[in-house]
Amino acid sequence: MTAASPTFEEVRPELSAAERAAIRSARIRGVVMAALGLFALQFAIQTMDVAATFSFWVDKQGGNTFTIATQVGVLWLLAGVVTGVAGVIQLVRGPSFQWRRALLIVIPFWVAATFAGLLAGKPANVTIVFAGTLTYAAPISLGAFAGILAERSGINNIAIEGKFLMGACAASVVASVTMLALGPAANPTIGVLAGVLAAAVTGILVSLLLAWLGIRWRVDQIIAGIVINIGAVGITNFLFLRILTKQTELNTPPTVENIQVPVLSQIPILGPIAFQGSPYLYFAVIVMAAFAYMLFRTRWGLRLRASGEKPSAAGTVGIDVIKIRYRAMIVAGILAGIAGSSFSLASAGSFQMQMSAGRGFIALAAVIFGAWNPIYAFGAAMVFGFADASQALLSVLGVDVPPQLLNSIPYLVTIIVVAGVVGRVRGPAAAGQPYDQG
Amino acid sequence: MSRATRALRPAVTPILAIVTAFIVGSIFILITDFNNLSKLGTDPAAAIGGALGLIGQAYYAMVTGALGDPDKVGTAITSPTARSVATAIRPLTETLVAASPLIFCGLAVAISFRSGVFNIGVEGQYVLGAFGATVVAILLKDTVPAAVILVAATIGGVLTGALWGFIPGFLKAKAGAHEVITTIMLNYVAAQVVLFGLRSDFLRKAGSSEPISKVLDFVRVPVLIPLPALRLHWGFVLALAMAVVVSWFLFKTTKGFELRASGFNMHAARYAGMSATGSIILAMTLSGGLAALGGSMAVLGDVTQMSNDISTGVGFTAIALALLAGNRPLGIVVASLLFGALSNGGHLMGIKTGIPADLIIFIEALVIMFVAAPGLIRWLYRFDATRMPKRFDDNAAAKEGSAA
Repeated sequence: MTAASPTFEEVRPELSAAERAAIRSARIRGVVMAALGLFALQFAIQTMDVAATFSFWVDKQGGNTFTIATQVGVLWLLAGVVTGVAGVIQLVRGPSFQWRRALLIVIPFWVAATFAGLLAGKPANVTIVFAGTLTYAAPISLGAFAGILAERSGINNIAIEGKFLMGACAASVVASVTMLALGPAANPTIGVLAGVLAAAVTGILVSLLLAWLGIRWRVDQIIAGIVINIGAVGITNFLFLRILTKQTELNTPPTVENIQVPVLSQIPILGPIAFQGSPYLYFAVIVMAAFAYMLFRTRWGLRLRASGEKPSAAGTVGIDVIKIRYRAMIVAGILAGIAGSSFSLASAGSFQMQMSAGRGFIALAAVIFGAWNPIYAFGAAMVFGFADASQALLSVLGVDVPPQLLNSIPYLVTIIVVAGVVGRVRGPAAAGQPYDQG
Repeated sequence: MSRATRALRPAVTPILAIVTAFIVGSIFILITDFNNLSKLGTDPAAAIGGALGLIGQAYYAMVTGALGDPDKVGTAITSPTARSVATAIRPLTETLVAASPLIFCGLAVAISFRSGVFNIGVEGQYVLGAFGATVVAILLKDTVPAAVILVAATIGGVLTGALWGFIPGFLKAKAGAHEVITTIMLNYVAAQVVLFGLRSDFLRKAGSSEPISKVLDFVRVPVLIPLPALRLHWGFVLALAMAVVVSWFLFKTTKGFELRASGFNMHAARYAGMSATGSIILAMTLSGGLAALGGSMAVLGDVTQMSNDISTGVGFTAIALALLAGNRPLGIVVASLLFGALSNGGHLMGIKTGIPADLIIFIEALVIMFVAAPGLIRWLYRFDATRMPKRFDDNAAAKEGSAA
């Protein structure tokens, strides 16, 4: 909870109520962390004789492997020690301790130990999980960037899901038609590019519809978003059942191939994980870097954020808020549409009904989990991608973990974050509010 | 101006919205009609005639699918047997079956919108209500009489959904968590809970590899018309009763007034001594419970088997039609009947003409879009906005009240 600012009388050398509360909660955190550390040590004792075998591909997927063989107990021991140390530091340092950063270090140890515990001695290839994490994260992060862009400019964007779906459909059809028109000898890259372009244009159109409804006709942006999501399901299902099931040649696009990043893809172990992946991943990383710079370091970014925080003030100093919002929505549409094309061009190899499967909402979750910041949102997308990838591996290895638990992680994390359990995040103040240009 | 035209005025936008949506729907039928499009060059007259004929056939099939086939009605009148009467009225009763969950969910949405909270989680509350009812019913199987199971399962379902509404309400009231975000997320968690529950042998149909529950053939909401093949049950009557109850609660009781007051202006309500946090929690809990009642009635009355497909987007359609009806209970009943007829008629359209019933989802989305943007309709049809009565903007007013 936010602390009440002290009144004049309360400002004394003694500690204010807020400071006392901070010290108390720091103590509680420290004790809880230390206790969890002991808990992990208890696990360690029980699982000392269970093997944990993790292997990595060194040069390429399916190539030579590098294996780490240890015990589950050792991983728990590490988790316990790290957690215990964090707890002790917390107790010594008190409220000034950056405990959220410490959590970022502690949690991976717990995840690794839990993962090994679930495998219960089965060897696992970690490269698949990490590379899968990045592959899954790419469209989610692109969708999240679209969400950040829109909301930073003052438009609530819950229509990411609809844009994904429309983008996936348009990409598949246009890529297929392009290849049919060019003949079998043509370079499939041309078809892919045509599909991606079509997805981007579709994304722009859907985005503009949302902006137009919200800005011109002052439709509540949540309602407009829901309309677009429902309409996208309706129209893509309709087109799929009416045309694509009969004319299957219209739904057989060329697929996007993984690319080798020059030099970097040769790095042992790291190369197969991060630098031999889908072009969508590298596009997402480039967009993330450019966007993080532009949002916080350029005049354009300042104006965009002003439009989303205090449009009346922005308008007063001569910023054209409406124009900024429309432009932001156009770019958001491009990003979400391209992300949508990855479902039909990279993952499945054709368009299927409702193939975005709620990932647009996971992107929305990444917007919030990432505190409306492109870099953090990419991190959030990786966390959600990891849940997907590890679930895929566990089910391949026949480990009986209910996939529903892992599937729920993005949603539960988002609820916890918006409820402020792990530090409150706050979105742009004016997102969703119509603006009257005077 | 006569009294009749004045009474019809508020219906102008919704009617034009529906007409416009169907026109756009026709365009999509036209441009995907490759058979006739390919003849456009050689035989334009036949092509245009064929295309228009197809649209006519499609919408005619939709109407007969929703209301009844005139031929079969004729047969039922000339030779009234149980079978012929049932065949004649079956489309109409199926429309009512389709409308019932929409009424429950539409009312659930209206309660939350009137109270100033945006419950996007009706979908999840509906699904979990059906799930809770299924769990209780299977738990009590063979232990107590069917009537007791019915009541207990309904209560179990309602409580499950109410809890699923309480959570975002509590988080909004106590921690300021935006209910749009939390309810969207809880919709997905609800789907995962159902899939997780249907993994167990206790719930899952024996020998099935799909996540579907055992058939609830030991408990059934009583049917309304005792004729063969008619599924219409007392759940529909309960839905109508709930419309009356919600109307009475919102507009005639102190609590209802407090909910609407805090929906209209939370700060003023708080200044007047009302508990804004209490209102939020109450509204969300009631909303969840109502949606769950709809889910319980569906699974115990006509679907008879729990699966993840129990709601075909009912919760989202409900948001649409609550908006269409300006969050007025009577209007929600009318709008639900309309949407029920659309989705029920859409099935026959699909069977008769091969035009996928999913076109209806698209048409529904267009209807909401045009209703939510009354200015757009006025602009499209170029009619004089200043001559419209004030009530014309009820939708917008209710929306702004809830968004504040």
